[in-house]
Amino acid sequence: MSAPTGTFDERVAKALANPQLKIAMERTTGNARRKRAAAVEAWPHFNEARRIAAAIKDHVIDNYEHYLETFERNALASGAKVHWARDAQEACDIVVHLCLASGGKNVTRAKSMLGEEVGLPHALEAAGLHRVETDLAEHIIQLAGDPPSHIVWPAAHIAREEVAELFRRHHRDNSNSDDVPAMVASARRVLREEFMAADVGISGANFLVADTGAICTVTNEGNAELTTTLPRIHIVTAGIEKLVPSTEHALQLLRLLVRSATGADLTQYTTFHCGPKRVHDRDGPSEFHIVLVDNGRTRMLAEGQAEMLRCLRCGACMNHCVVYRQIGGHAYGGAYPGPMGSVLTPNLLGLAATRDLPSACTLNGQCRSVCPVDIPLPTLLRGWRDRSWREGLEPKKTRNFLGLWAFVAARPALYRLGITFALPIIRLFGSKGWIKRMPLADAWTSERDLIQPPARSFMAQYAAMKKGAKK
Amino acid sequence: MNNAKADIFAAIAKARPAKTKDAVAIAAQANELAAAMREFRPPAEGDDLVDLFMARASSEKVGASIERVDALGALPGAVARYSRANGLGTDFSLQPDAGLERLDWGAMKPSREIAPDTILAVGIARSGVAETGTLVFHSDPEAPTLFAFLPDHHIVAIEAQKIRRWLEDYAIAEIGTVAPRNVNLVTGASGTTDIEGVLVRGAHGPRSLHIVIIGNAC
Repeated sequence: MSAPTGTFDERVAKALANPQLKIAMERTTGNARRKRAAAVEAWPHFNEARRIAAAIKDHVIDNYEHYLETFERNALASGAKVHWARDAQEACDIVVHLCLASGGKNVTRAKSMLGEEVGLPHALEAAGLHRVETDLAEHIIQLAGDPPSHIVWPAAHIAREEVAELFRRHHRDNSNSDDVPAMVASARRVLREEFMAADVGISGANFLVADTGAICTVTNEGNAELTTTLPRIHIVTAGIEKLVPSTEHALQLLRLLVRSATGADLTQYTTFHCGPKRVHDRDGPSEFHIVLVDNGRTRMLAEGQAEMLRCLRCGACMNHCVVYRQIGGHAYGGAYPGPMGSVLTPNLLGLAATRDLPSACTLNGQCRSVCPVDIPLPTLLRGWRDRSWREGLEPKKTRNFLGLWAFVAARPALYRLGITFALPIIRLFGSKGWIKRMPLADAWTSERDLIQPPARSFMAQYAAMKKGAKK
Repeated sequence: MNNAKADIFAAIAKARPAKTKDAVAIAAQANELAAAMREFRPPAEGDDLVDLFMARASSEKVGASIERVDALGALPGAVARYSRANGLGTDFSLQPDAGLERLDWGAMKPSREIAPDTILAVGIARSGVAETGTLVFHSDPEAPTLFAFLPDHHIVAIEAQKIRRWLEDYAIAEIGTVAPRNVNLVTGASGTTDIEGVLVRGAHGPRSLHIVIIGNAC
């Protein structure tokens, strides 16, 4: 998989120059927005429910130690093996070690964002294992060599003609047309064989259920169940934030998760996996491993971002983000794009390398208003901006300009004097009410025109008006 | 305790020291939250749970086909009719459930095995959820998981009296029972919207789901 390269600005420029991308993103996110809106419309108490959902997640966060201990105890009692990983490297090492120890080479994966986050696809291949992504979208991007561009629809950036081309090149029976059902059938045939040949199946988890020790997966395709039932070994990788107290809480949160993601009432397949296959069971894995991953989550707890640990990974925030819809997922440069990605990625990859992400936000608040667990995303993004300033990560030009601005803005007389001189000069660059180009304003005028300001400031006009009224 | 677990717990204890270690108090709080959520569920009105279940399961979103019969003894007839209507032949995989195996399958030829190229499988659900039109399966020796995922067509019998209104009703009913290896909540046939958002049925699991409701609610 090739990770996105270049600076954020370069990636954005590349995305904006690709008209196909905008069409593909708008189809996927537009559909998602319409379906979510209809589902929320049909649930008059959605707002109350999401406040309680947030409270359920906060309750777990407040009692992490208790719930982690409870989950581990019950998972062990079910026959599962539980592993702990502090960071991405440790998580990959554990999974790769288990795969190699199995003696087999064939590994199927059901889509897991945690797996993408820790770089598991790459780690499996580096270890010489045959990795097969079984979610249709993940299968497509594996063939294309792309990273995911959306957390629910990883192939949102690829149009149907490109999928057909990929399948013609990579599927043995390459007669299929551009017809979507034919393409789905072709992937089904190819992946059926891979399911049957797999030695190890790897899934993520949407929930870790403390009181049973089970993990929950949700899919619409049924690939998770074929991934986890057929091979001899099932490995789960999950972030510790996926904990819930009980099955009932998991089902309650699912109502919000699924409606927010796809607009359905429930995913087609919602499955709880608890331990390895039982005595006399006719199918199921004989080994069941759960890898519990921190990778920055306790750091978020320590650094004022605990609310982000509520996240259910529904993707609603990105579907409604005016920035994401323009630039797509790859421009963000991490596993998670959009508003939630802009909060998570600086934590995962370091703020110095990612400080552009929290800045590439209009703070319009849409993301928070659609979030099913009411995460204050704009506040968390502002927190990163704040920190970037405090840690001196902003470029010198920005710091100097903002320093000068702050100095002048705090001195009204000086500010007014400056405006009085600046306005007539700025006006020289405009014509017919618009400024097409102006020194120091490239960042704005390269994409759009600037409004030509009036000759005198509001304060000056107001003063003149009051004077006139007195006469 | 291994080092990674100890480090993670130490980081949590430092960042968010537990206010209480009282498991009873924590459980009470969790129960209060679940109870609060039950007050704000999406609408699923109507007295007749079977009608509600049928409406939800056959809705466009879920896309199952449904029929009702008086008793389990009528299931083989329903399976034969479905198979004939869809041109599926007489061979099928029958979930190795004692109750199903006792039925007279007539000209239909049941097999206990399921394979990647199985066209038709017939099974019975443990319970149902009307709110979402969902079938619930618990894996056990008489209910292998793959029966719900490998066939092209899946016919599922469910007793009307085992249909509950809410997802929570299922969870609460199972408290105290030993969790099986797999709980499968099946809501409609397999589907995908991964190519340009176009819904296609039969991504990896069954292309068609047919539900046969047995008997009456009371």
